[in-house]
Amino acid sequence: MPRELMSIENLSVIYKTDLETVRAVNGVSITLEKGKTLGIVGETGAGKTTLALSLMRLLPKATGRITEGRVILQDQDLYKLSEIEMKSIRGNLVSMIFQDPMTSLNPIMKVGDQIAESLILHNDEKLTKEQISARVEETLTLVGIPPFRKNDYPHQFSGGMKQRVVIAIALACKPQLLIADEPTTALDVTIQAQVLSMMADLKEALDTAMIMITHDIGIVAQICDYVAVMYAGEIIEYGTIQDIFDHSREHHPYTVGLFGSIPDLKHKTRRLSPIDGLMPDPTMLPRGCAFSPRCPKCEPLCKDQKPPDRDNNGHRIRCYFVGGAQ
Amino acid sequence: MGTGEAHNKELVIDEEQTTVKRNGPMKEAWRRLRKSVTAMIGLGILAVFVFLAIFADVIADYETVVISMDGTRMLQRPSLEHLMGTDHLGRDIFARIVHGARVSLTIGLFVTGFAVLIGGFFGASTAYWGGLYDMIIMRICDILLSIPGVLLGLAIIAVLGPSLINLLIALVIANIPIYTRFIRSTVLTIVEQDFIEAARACGTSDLRIIYKHIITNVTGPIIVQATLSIAATILSAAGFSFLGMGIAPPHPEWGAMLADARGYLRTDPHFMIFPGIAIILTALSFNLVGDGLRDALDPRLKT
Amino acid sequence: MSTPLTGTLLETKGLKKYFKVPGGWLHAVDGVDFKIETGKTLGVVGESGCGKTTLGRIMLKLVEPTDGQIFFDGKDITKLSKREMKSYRSDMQIIFQDPYSSLNPRMTVVDLIAEPMWVRKIFKTRAETVAKAKEFMSIVGLAKRLETAYPHELDGGRRQRIGIARALCLNPRFIVCDEPVSALDVSIQAQILNLLMDLQEEMKLTYFFITHDLSVVKHISDHIAVMYLGKCVEYSPAEELYKNPVHPYTKALLKAIPIPDISNRLQKEHIIKGELTSPVNPKPGCRFVARCEVSRDDCTKGDIPLVEVSPGHFVSCLHIGE
Repeated sequence: MPRELMSIENLSVIYKTDLETVRAVNGVSITLEKGKTLGIVGETGAGKTTLALSLMRLLPKATGRITEGRVILQDQDLYKLSEIEMKSIRGNLVSMIFQDPMTSLNPIMKVGDQIAESLILHNDEKLTKEQISARVEETLTLVGIPPFRKNDYPHQFSGGMKQRVVIAIALACKPQLLIADEPTTALDVTIQAQVLSMMADLKEALDTAMIMITHDIGIVAQICDYVAVMYAGEIIEYGTIQDIFDHSREHHPYTVGLFGSIPDLKHKTRRLSPIDGLMPDPTMLPRGCAFSPRCPKCEPLCKDQKPPDRDNNGHRIRCYFVGGAQ
Repeated sequence: MGTGEAHNKELVIDEEQTTVKRNGPMKEAWRRLRKSVTAMIGLGILAVFVFLAIFADVIADYETVVISMDGTRMLQRPSLEHLMGTDHLGRDIFARIVHGARVSLTIGLFVTGFAVLIGGFFGASTAYWGGLYDMIIMRICDILLSIPGVLLGLAIIAVLGPSLINLLIALVIANIPIYTRFIRSTVLTIVEQDFIEAARACGTSDLRIIYKHIITNVTGPIIVQATLSIAATILSAAGFSFLGMGIAPPHPEWGAMLADARGYLRTDPHFMIFPGIAIILTALSFNLVGDGLRDALDPRLKT
Repeated sequence: MSTPLTGTLLETKGLKKYFKVPGGWLHAVDGVDFKIETGKTLGVVGESGCGKTTLGRIMLKLVEPTDGQIFFDGKDITKLSKREMKSYRSDMQIIFQDPYSSLNPRMTVVDLIAEPMWVRKIFKTRAETVAKAKEFMSIVGLAKRLETAYPHELDGGRRQRIGIARALCLNPRFIVCDEPVSALDVSIQAQILNLLMDLQEEMKLTYFFITHDLSVVKHISDHIAVMYLGKCVEYSPAEELYKNPVHPYTKALLKAIPIPDISNRLQKEHIIKGELTSPVNPKPGCRFVARCEVSRDDCTKGDIPLVEVSPGHFVSCLHIGE
């Protein structure tokens, strides 16, 4: 039985300023099942963070605008909710953790109080003070911090521990969905491995679905179930982890380039094979395929018309020349 | 250098694909400043005062209108002949305000200019070299800053005697420690950047690092600070004149005009209102422009 | 300047740098001996706070060492004054990690590249200097139309190319690359790595390549030194280190890399516990003891020397193979 948690349908987001219009997200459609992890990979400016923010309805008010599409979370259309209803969803049903643990925490508040804060805010179960305190300790244990440290302040924690606290805050209300925006980028490799393994354990223990936003294909390979490759605001390839990491299958030229750019730890290669050029300016995207200016397989057709998604048992590729049955 | 052209072709990033929007930083700032309504209002008021100051002699002759007394038309109300009325010595208030603008703007620009130059030198050098030199200069600043500005100014004028030049000197000295502090802290954030270290790694001399890499990067914040403090300087100059420590009569100065009008507040309010408005408008316009510049020069606020 | 094609270009002996901090001395670099051969790349890996960046700055004498010696081309440059050091500044250059703070935002691209040459008075006229700067733009792959652009208008990859051109323009022999690709996206990262390797080949450059990324360092380096809290714990030819890591920290580091391959997903049993201990007033002996699985009492008795375990492969551990 498919246990659909969330579906994004044809979502487009722009940032509009007096000077220019940045097309950050262009027609993204994805569904996410309960308890599964979706990895969104892409480079800087691919629209990953914008996508995440628009799911939370946290786009910058002055410039960010959702132009079309809808997001259904547990049968509720998020864009039809009032701001008050949305507030009760944020932190409760959906939580988000950000890249930099140093700035996500309030430096003059005990970490225990920071975790308790969201519990008090979304106190649907009418928990007493003692129950909340017990829940704080339980959450801290869950992320691998000894409960007695709840009375410490953020500066008394190291970087990796701070990120654990941030995750504890996000998980305090046992959300259905956790959106993690580059949660380990600011951490050292050994600490990153610890945090990632903890997150993988948590996901299993709590049955929380997760959207993992990252630029590191390695992280995706380690903990995701589904992968969406983003480029210039579009999902150009989507599939299960097996689909994407099976090199014998056909892939979008961008995905191929992404893999070719990573130095291989196992084999010695003298030159890397990077993708030539740069991501297109999001204020003036090409008319056809967004990747066409950099694509080795580009044909006149690509420059003229947007290629459709080609679907092969759920493995979607947005390209004319690769992909399964039409 | 035998650098092969062959592989470089491949490296040259596509020429047409992206365009670089080429706006110099100053042009970009001006574009953003223009968008601020309040800053434009400020700039407009300021332009009027600058115009009046420049053409003061055309608008009203100094000898015959501004300083010559006429007992026959004392304290007249505003009329077509005297737009803002006349004062207790029968002088045209509008003419005196126009010529007063000259004095006030000169004081504001001159004091701020010198304070920025001298304070800038001390601020940049202390931040860059640090050590004992930094300590000594900063302690001197602390001492100067611990004396209230008005008191310091009064003390200097008391020693040197009241005159326009001495007023300027007093105001400059009172402003120097403020700028030293401000510029030192701004420069400290620049000194930490890698490009200063990069310059050092090429063996660039300290002086060149200061003027080529540091000064150019602190001009933005300094301009903002200077604009805001011109207003404060004009106000304190008016204050000193009000206390009789500034410009000697009969020369027109807004603060001194207010002082003259003290006794006529109930009977002839126009005498005090117009110089008062002139002071307020000038100070306000500089503050509006300063606030606008602050936003316009901050690259983080891209709108 | 004649450059010998082989032999040691740069050597450090017992290099130390301590910083005074509240509560004692921070041992940023604590007795490091390296030799870098002409035309080769020594990669230095380690996590934040291991002293790799300080080490790079010391080698260029941007930071004065507390103790130890630096030899460049056989000459001891440790005690040279700022003025005497000037003649070496052209030979030794640095590429910074952050392409955003390493370029003066008020200068155009061509001015940025011309500046070092102008300062060093390589050419008599400004026109010659600018012409040479334009030549370097094409060498590092910057399009002509960007000459008058300002750094804030460019992306990270192009900015890093400016940084490389600046480092190259004085015709140096030795370049410290301080995490030059860490701030860049993978596809851009690969372009820059290729560029650095091509330039090395053509201009016979010697690199001291600092990074925290183990896959990048393997790709570009001939030799690799692994650092932990100011000490070098393992030094080996690049290939050898990945095939046969010996020090427990190196092993842990290699296992912690998320590999883009789903055949072996996170192996939890290999993840090392704990975090970096403080580099302030460290205890004697091995710095890794607190996180090490094979540590014994003797690890904290005294300094642990680097021992050659196979030709060219040095390890600082008392319990190799346990």
